Amino acid sequence: MNRKSSLWFVVIAILALILSACGSTDNNSDESSEESGDERIISHEMGETPISGSPERIVVLEFSFVDALASLGITPVGIADDDDSERIIGPIAEQIGEYTSVGTRKEPSVEIISSLQPDLIIADINRHKDVYEKLSEIAPTIVLSSLSSNYEENVDSFSVIAEALGETEKAEQRLAQHEDTMSELKSNVPENESRTILPAVVTDTGFHAHSSTSYTGSLLESLGFENAIQGTGIEDATNKIDLETLVESNPDIMFFMTSGGETIVSEWQQNPLWEEISAVQNGHVYEVDQNEWSRFRGLIAAELIVEQTINHLYK
Amino acid sequence: MNVLLKKNNTKKRPIFLGLLFIIGISILTVGIMLSMSIGIADVHFSHIVESFFINDLSKEHLFVQTIRLPRAIIACLIGGNLAVAGAIMQAITRNPLASPQIFGINAGASFFVVLSAVFFTAASPSSVVYFAFLGATIGGVLVYYLGSSGGMTPVKLALAGITIHFFLSALTEGLIIFNEHTTEGVLFWLAGAVDSKSWQDVKIILPWSLLGLLGSLILAKSISVLSLGENVARGLGQNIGLIRLFSGILVVILAGASVSIAGPIGFVGLIVPHITRYIVGVDYRLVLPFSALFGAILLVYADIIARFIAFPYESPVGIVTAILGAPFFFYLIKRRKKLS
Repeated sequence: MNRKSSLWFVVIAILALILSACGSTDNNSDESSEESGDERIISHEMGETPISGSPERIVVLEFSFVDALASLGITPVGIADDDDSERIIGPIAEQIGEYTSVGTRKEPSVEIISSLQPDLIIADINRHKDVYEKLSEIAPTIVLSSLSSNYEENVDSFSVIAEALGETEKAEQRLAQHEDTMSELKSNVPENESRTILPAVVTDTGFHAHSSTSYTGSLLESLGFENAIQGTGIEDATNKIDLETLVESNPDIMFFMTSGGETIVSEWQQNPLWEEISAVQNGHVYEVDQNEWSRFRGLIAAELIVEQTINHLYK
Repeated sequence: MNVLLKKNNTKKRPIFLGLLFIIGISILTVGIMLSMSIGIADVHFSHIVESFFINDLSKEHLFVQTIRLPRAIIACLIGGNLAVAGAIMQAITRNPLASPQIFGINAGASFFVVLSAVFFTAASPSSVVYFAFLGATIGGVLVYYLGSSGGMTPVKLALAGITIHFFLSALTEGLIIFNEHTTEGVLFWLAGAVDSKSWQDVKIILPWSLLGLLGSLILAKSISVLSLGENVARGLGQNIGLIRLFSGILVVILAGASVSIAGPIGFVGLIVPHITRYIVGVDYRLVLPFSALFGAILLVYADIIARFIAFPYESPVGIVTAILGAPFFFYLIKRRKKLS
């Protein structure tokens, strides 16, 4: 090594030292400001996590959490949006504006999440149980039930999220408003409503009936309808069924949650059995948006679903 | 083997074969009837028989004629296809472990079918078959080359097959993970299933099945000779390269068409030819048609069992064939060890 290059080496080393020192002072000031806030213990599906202050850089790994944050007027920095920003439903997309995609809900990118330097991560028990440890190393992580939650559990999750964010007051206001909206919408449903209903996600390869234990199913049942699939002994939240099972369950009303395009229903319509279904005979078959009806699952989505149901059935 | 051939060529043979055929057809018919009487909706036996003579468009008749019958037929065709494909492969490679699954043919076809679901979403079901053919060819050729370099032994073939199988399955899984929304329906299909099949599917697979099964009957004599060894075949003036090529094409058609409709159903192509040879001997003019019959029986009954595993939910029939087939696979390996 000659003198010139060794000089450069020293210069670079000093620069690096200074830079790292700057970085660490920044971190210190951050931490001290956080510590000034009160510390809350949030209990969730994977244990208890202490959270202090009001987290500002939040990464969410399910759409229902996006809905919860939007309901509180907060924009997440990162969303597992399945690499498709079109999946964010209209009213929420408008409200939250810019965010960074952290990949699919099934396989979110831990690297991208880490690079966003979040101070809170909200994950789903079904999909992210196995990466909980990794996520916890990046930031305090709370794990809630989203994918397999019904309407009531979903509202409970909203309260937990609000507590984690230190926004309980705002959440209570929003919940009261939600209840008002819902009961106002429900007043359109006649009291003797007892028709059977079947919400189903239909794709080109399958017909997935949602039972009353699913989010959409439980929400519709809270309006007074009876879920049709229950009668056939099938009880899982979502069930891939064939035409025979559909005809046997014989719903009076059907909502097909689709993402557009050809579905298996166009094939089933060719079969004379299709005409045997009560909903088909009475003209109560409606196509709705899968993002709004099935993927979002939150206060805003619930209001949308009930509003659309009432518009379709009573107006 | 020659001894076996001779022993079987007694005069009682036609009676035995005729009886075997009648018994086989009866068991298959009973299976199809059972298959048509089991489901979510209650359908009486009388409805099933009735629906074949007068279709009064009642729900029961429609269930039988538009949903349950095509499903049973698909099970028959795919069972037959896979069994014959396995029998041909075991003959031309002279390897008792050869089957569409071990040979990477199912995995190759599956990979290309998923590929078409991701990148050619507009592909119609009848054109997906061609993707399956392409994948089946690639999978099969890869395993053949890996397994036959320096003489093909059963173990080598199994290793090469498993390697390619895992490699292609990993690619398939990768495709599914990164394209969650276009592959939502693929997972059930990947386990191998014949539920929710319609006359449309029968229309797609029937011509390929007929082509494959008839072709294999025409080729049966040459396959028989080749199964005795290359030297014998060459001595009898057979064009070995040509037989191999046509046999390969038949296997790709039979297995590829099956995978495109029902996913990779394993073990049928492995077990059935062994059972068939045990009963009818090693003459492939008999082994092939009886493999088709026994394969159909196996899959029709496996499909009935599949419906009971988690009733009223459907379970993939591939799970049942795997449960039946895995112990058999071990038995084959064990017996092989004793012989060698």
